[in-house]
Amino acid sequence: MRPNTRNGCDSQRDEPRPGGSIPGAITSWWLIVLAVILAPASGLFEVGAQEREFPGVELGLVYENGFAPAIAIRPFTGRFGGAAAAAQVEAIIARDLRYSDRYSVMDSIPPALAGGDGIDYTLWDRLGAVWLLNGSVEGSGGGGYVVDLQLHDIVYTQVTDRGRFEVPRPDDPGFRMAVHRISDAVVQWTFGEPGMAASRIAFPMTRDDGQTKELYIIDADGENLQRVTNHRDLILSPAWSPDGSRIAFTSYKDGPALIYERNLATGDEHALNIIRDGMLLTPAYHPNGDVLAFNIQGGSRSGLFTYDVRRNCCLTNITEGRRIDISPSYSPDGRRLAFNSNRYGDAVPQIFVMSSNGGDAELISPYRYGQQGYYTSPDWSPQGDLVAFHGRIERSGLYQILVARMGERGRLLQLTSEGNNEDPSWAPDGRHLVFRGDRSWGRGLFIVDTGTGAIRVLVSGMDVSVPDWSPALPGG
Amino acid sequence: MTHRRLAVPVLVAALWAMACRGDPPPPPTPPVEEEPEMPDTAGQGAAAAAAAAAAAAAEAAARRATAVATLTETVYFDYDESELRPDAEQVLRQKVEILRGSPAVQIRIEGHADERGSTEYNVALGQRRAETVRQFLTDFGLNADRFAIVSYGEERPAVNQSNETAWARNRRAEFVVTAGEDQVNPPGGD
Repeated sequence: MRPNTRNGCDSQRDEPRPGGSIPGAITSWWLIVLAVILAPASGLFEVGAQEREFPGVELGLVYENGFAPAIAIRPFTGRFGGAAAAAQVEAIIARDLRYSDRYSVMDSIPPALAGGDGIDYTLWDRLGAVWLLNGSVEGSGGGGYVVDLQLHDIVYTQVTDRGRFEVPRPDDPGFRMAVHRISDAVVQWTFGEPGMAASRIAFPMTRDDGQTKELYIIDADGENLQRVTNHRDLILSPAWSPDGSRIAFTSYKDGPALIYERNLATGDEHALNIIRDGMLLTPAYHPNGDVLAFNIQGGSRSGLFTYDVRRNCCLTNITEGRRIDISPSYSPDGRRLAFNSNRYGDAVPQIFVMSSNGGDAELISPYRYGQQGYYTSPDWSPQGDLVAFHGRIERSGLYQILVARMGERGRLLQLTSEGNNEDPSWAPDGRHLVFRGDRSWGRGLFIVDTGTGAIRVLVSGMDVSVPDWSPALPGG
Repeated sequence: MTHRRLAVPVLVAALWAMACRGDPPPPPTPPVEEEPEMPDTAGQGAAAAAAAAAAAAAEAAARRATAVATLTETVYFDYDESELRPDAEQVLRQKVEILRGSPAVQIRIEGHADERGSTEYNVALGQRRAETVRQFLTDFGLNADRFAIVSYGEERPAVNQSNETAWARNRRAEFVVTAGEDQVNPPGGD
């Protein structure tokens, strides 16, 4: 269901309405890149000063003009024993829609205003709502619930989408994720685009002994932090498989830097025992889920390699030379690979793109010979030709989160300006990024919305490391 | 009152006198050890020989400890560089001398980076630093198999602070003796 253009509303939308793929949406925003509109949280940013540092590169903090269509959530009702769960389900959905950074969410509506069984479209229109969510939670025979949801379009005064969603009991570990999937359905109904509520973020973090780093997972809304591994050593660089069932990561548990694959449902872990010397770093899954790309550093061979983890065979070298080629990230169709290379020098690592079989590499970071540009940690958007990475813009040595659009070399989107920010990873909606940031109060994981520039803190004050955002996690 | 009025100047004069005594007196010279008369009993000769052997062993242990310290001395790197600085090369040459005479000794070279930049790239940079060190050592003819390599990137800082001094001390290669520590021979023989 796409939002309709409206005649009598207050929005200033004369640009293409949201709908279609994210790259399309961002294309329209490139036009206003230099008309920088600042979100209050990020402070002043002088585009002019930074353009002097990088001639030929345009940077911009790109924000929408502040309009967020209002979605009203009528208090969810409960039937057949579902009343107890109704408030929880509604609260999770309301927060997910806020965190999507697409709406102005009207919830906690007083019953007197919410009206009876019918929908007073005129009233809601006057309140400024574009959509209304009407839901009820019914106990189902098997002990769980069914959430019955309708989406009303206020202007066209009709129900435009509806669904019935099964959720387990609130005390079931799968409850929250089942509700998150409902929120993502609402995003799909209203904008025709994927949401990111039903997803998780994996990251290494120093554990309770203050010494070693383990792998942790947290829901995208910041709930359910769990420690996953028990290696009692150093863990780095987690990477989710495309179906969300496995995570690959580097661990020092059995010697310097081996790559492990862990099945999340069973807890089974095994190491890739494929080389005798050297370190295995920065794994990344091919979209088919069968092949891992990674770096081998040191030993008799170095560079980027791929290995078939399903058939346990076929180690293949895809970059050559005695240098650092690291941090691969596949395009959504698996045909190209972004990666990090120091082929221009140890002090100036850059971002390149090549065919996933290897071969000629195209530079996509704004390197100029003789300058001090440092760009690393690429991540390819799951929704299109955008590659996020972090780089040093200012001479102060701090790093910021940047996004490059393939085919538009010389134009970068800068998403952060405060503190030090590294290691971006795309959400499955292709719109949000999680990254690691250092602020005056310490280190944390942050989520930034490329549409509005809004930044929220996911994890704060912990010694966290390189995060990876899962794909949309399927049910079951 | 006169006492008090005199007390301060007297005190000052006394302090001045003490201070102006000049350098402290030299320490007393150790008594010259007279060669004891040598009674020709075998017991006393054996004791003297044992004492001399113990002294020699203590000195050898001290020299071995110094050699181990040299072997495990850290070398440092410049920002974003894996090339060796002249001061690093000098330390490494001293290690070469010891390692040549100590064939049983094996070393693990641990590469590190400071916290700036990319976590993952820093692991690779630390590896390069350790490899550069190993290459330098093997260029002198030492067997590469004696040197294992690991990199911790920025994950194991020596100094857990965020300033230039700390960063300079974190960009390093450390050396751990993994075999033959009791067979370290100081340079130039025992």
